[in-house]
Amino acid sequence: MRSPVTWWNDPWRPPRILLAVTFGYLAWSLIPVLIAVIFSFNDGRSRTVWQGFSTRWYFGDPVKSVWHDAALHTALFQTLKLGLITTLITVPLGVMFAIGIDRWRGRLPAGANMLMLVSFVLPEVLLAVSLLFVVTTLPLPIKLGTGAQVLGLVTFQIAYPAVLVRARMATIGTQYEEAAMDLGASPLAALRRVTLPMLLPAIFASTVLVFADVIDDFVLVRYLSGSSSTEPVSVKIYNTARAAPTPALNALATLLLFAALLAITVGYLVYRRMTRGDNTAGGGIAAFAGEA
Amino acid sequence: MTLTEVAAQAKPQSTRARGSALGPVLAAPGVIWLLLFFLGPLYVVLAIVFGRTDPIFRTAVPVWNPLQWNPSQFNYVLSRIVGSQGIFGPALLRTALYVLVAGLLCLLLAFPVAYYTARLSGRWKGLLLALLIAPFWISYMMRMLAWVNLLQDDGLVNRLFSMGGIFDVRVHWLTGQPVVVVLGLVYGYVAYMILPLYAGLDRLPQSTLEAARDLGASRFASFWRVTLPMCRPTIVAAVLLTCLPMLGDYFTSDMLSASPKTAMVGNLINDSVQSPGQTGQAGALVMLVLLVAVLPMFYYVRVTSRGDTAS
Amino acid sequence: MPVPNRPSPSRRQFLQRAALLAGGTPALMLFLEACAKSDQTSSAPTMKIASPDKPATWDIAKDNEPIANGLAPEKAATLQLYSYADYVSPDAIKSFQEKYGTTVQVSTFNDTDEAITKIRAGSVDYDVFFPSYDQIGKLVNGSLLRPLNHTYIPNIKNVWPVFTNPFYDQQWRYTTPYTVYTTGIGWNNTVVPADIGALKNPYEALWDPAYKNKTAVIDDWHTAMSMVLLKLGITDVNTSSADNLKQVGEQLTALVAATSPKVTITMYTDVPTGQIGLTQMWSGDIINAQNYLPEGVTADVLRYWFPTDGKGLVDNDLMVILRGGKNPVLSHLFINHMLETESAKQNFKQIGYQPPQVSMSPDSLVADGFVAENIKTAIVRPEYYDVGYRILELEPDNDAAWHNVWRAFKAGGS
Repeated sequence: MRSPVTWWNDPWRPPRILLAVTFGYLAWSLIPVLIAVIFSFNDGRSRTVWQGFSTRWYFGDPVKSVWHDAALHTALFQTLKLGLITTLITVPLGVMFAIGIDRWRGRLPAGANMLMLVSFVLPEVLLAVSLLFVVTTLPLPIKLGTGAQVLGLVTFQIAYPAVLVRARMATIGTQYEEAAMDLGASPLAALRRVTLPMLLPAIFASTVLVFADVIDDFVLVRYLSGSSSTEPVSVKIYNTARAAPTPALNALATLLLFAALLAITVGYLVYRRMTRGDNTAGGGIAAFAGEA
Repeated sequence: MTLTEVAAQAKPQSTRARGSALGPVLAAPGVIWLLLFFLGPLYVVLAIVFGRTDPIFRTAVPVWNPLQWNPSQFNYVLSRIVGSQGIFGPALLRTALYVLVAGLLCLLLAFPVAYYTARLSGRWKGLLLALLIAPFWISYMMRMLAWVNLLQDDGLVNRLFSMGGIFDVRVHWLTGQPVVVVLGLVYGYVAYMILPLYAGLDRLPQSTLEAARDLGASRFASFWRVTLPMCRPTIVAAVLLTCLPMLGDYFTSDMLSASPKTAMVGNLINDSVQSPGQTGQAGALVMLVLLVAVLPMFYYVRVTSRGDTAS
Repeated sequence: MPVPNRPSPSRRQFLQRAALLAGGTPALMLFLEACAKSDQTSSAPTMKIASPDKPATWDIAKDNEPIANGLAPEKAATLQLYSYADYVSPDAIKSFQEKYGTTVQVSTFNDTDEAITKIRAGSVDYDVFFPSYDQIGKLVNGSLLRPLNHTYIPNIKNVWPVFTNPFYDQQWRYTTPYTVYTTGIGWNNTVVPADIGALKNPYEALWDPAYKNKTAVIDDWHTAMSMVLLKLGITDVNTSSADNLKQVGEQLTALVAATSPKVTITMYTDVPTGQIGLTQMWSGDIINAQNYLPEGVTADVLRYWFPTDGKGLVDNDLMVILRGGKNPVLSHLFINHMLETESAKQNFKQIGYQPPQVSMSPDSLVADGFVAENIKTAIVRPEYYDVGYRILELEPDNDAAWHNVWRAFKAGGS
């Protein structure tokens, strides 16, 4: 048994302050969400006073529950729709962009690369306002609504797959593709049969990340929304928060949270499987999130 | 010079072998998309800012020919920044202040967390990282709404401070308190800072740090004089990545304090865009924010691309 | 790894690129100009403004005749409503859906400026819109409204007779009334125990530092600024005097310094919970607050003040049919449905705003259980409309001046 003083001054002690800060941060970060999820099961209408457990806001209440309220359905479907369409367009576009820029020397690609990185850090409201102006003043076939929202979202998200794929290509290096071409493959075939399969983990990771980011987007989709059927969950929460929110909103957000968690978990497991035995890819969550 | 370095320098640029035609073809769709939907709209913004307003509805009418541009709306906004009619000045200053303070707080919070996770968490690394990434996939609006509930007069925060009735704490958190808005910004954006910091700290060579300790530096000294300088580029990139998007934030102030006292430049833009006669001014504000943010943005690009090639 | 140095562009390349740029730009200009949507300015730069002294009869354009009589409602359609949040009762919508076998979708806006901008942009297809009459000039002049065919709306006989020929729309060619309301001061008795109504100038209570952080004003430029004018004793709430507007600006700055009010439209949920203690409030909101009382709290805590002589802000909202909507027949039928006494009562119960129904006498509303005794000052009487101050549409220049003052306020001046 050591004395408390010795224990405190132990030179091999774990980093207590850092540990405390980390746990404090995690608590601060996640507890409000936990509370929101818990209150989605509240029996009464309050979102601050616990009135008993019930699932009425999910499917019990015949008027206002998520299952019965058409407005909440539409919001959920719109969110998922936007997520799917945007991801389907963004990932191929971004991947091709990254591969193309990587092997194209010159000022134009350097400029395009810079443009892409700038779109990564731009405040979203600037892009939203400029696209709003475009859609409302130019006679494009696209009107406010899903079309305009997809346009904005793809522009905003295209940097994600581009950056992830470029990082992965930098890690892989050029030797495999060059070896393939030395063995007689055309550049296109080498790309298709050697490089792309090696990039698959990064492509997959960026798909999941773009999807998760899009279903949470707020500024762009709000400015570019048309009627209320094109308002996704984030806009619904914002609108209703300034009126009279019920726990049905918590229920909606919880459902979306579980959908996102499911997507991420499945994605991560598939990613792990894909990079099994591949030691150029970092295994682990960090690589999945593109930060390896 | 080692053999490998010589060999590397002697290798010719093998553009021929890598299919120089393939590059432009693949990149073209992406480049065209960015030009059309990223750069293009900026020109439309210019056309509206320097355009005119419909006399009855006072909606904005874009003018496409630069020779016919009318700078009155832009001048109007510029003239309202400082001076006796400086109605926008306080909001711009306030935005800069909030973003700076929030950025600093984010850094003070994110760095220890990232450091611990990257270097000291051992076998809990994966779990910790998953928990740290979790906020990305929880609806941002939902998190803010959760805080609105907690901060209400009869909410949990006040109840906690009251400590079961010992004190009677009824602070009005949600009525225009700058502290609450800044903390709200920190809450919303700190997750964006943790990941890049984690990545950068993860890459630091352990050997160098151990060498510093072996040579007799205390924990603090080795941190201050070895670790910190080594991860300076990472810190800069992370701070920029977090603070630049904060410049356009308006919904944090909207939800946590519906008061003009905490209006940021994002609120100015949001209020004016669909207000008759003020759309052009909203566009001018957009341009202003863009101009202010452009230098840091290019700096960010430089820092990250240098990081790319310095692998 | 150093990036290899690129050769700078040769003279030839430079000239080629410059020529391309020089040649392309004017072409781009012409292209964009041709592409741009044609202007929608009407020919006259001035607009007819309706006021009680100068009633307006709106023209019906040749290409905008009302729909024919006796048409069948659209099949398998979705009726699109565009209103404030929580402003149309879900039960009334449900009964309409069942009666005509159609679906109804409600889109919401946060303020009227935003609403009209969106409608004008032309990319939405809302059918029925719920504005106030201070936008009717813009709506009619911009060809955004569909004139009404009165044969579909027999229930007009249920409303106060004045609305078949209101000053803002003589012969009710484009509008029917929706709700009537006054704008006074509301407060929660437990947070603000004083009797604000007994003060000499109740509006001044909002500037009282004793109520710091407990106050709010309505997030509507004209309503909030008119209240400031009334506080100053200026009864022309549509003033174009630069001096008056300057005073309003100063008062608003003083307001922020004194009590730091919220600027919102959530009074109906925040006053009953005490989150807002004392606020400028619409009469419908304080009545609606009865529906949002927390557990264990009765309507006793709610209070409302409006000048008993009726000399305060009085208003009514309208129902109009938008031209861009795809369901004109259903729109007419919906308006008729909302004017039916049963639906009007349902609406009143659920949204708190009083419908101008002949059968609902102001004196019976307390007894019938719609309004609690202590907020009976929120009941709107027809007599108020003879002496009350109305918020009217402003000339474009005046409108701009007012908006500038409001924007300075919202930018948080000091």
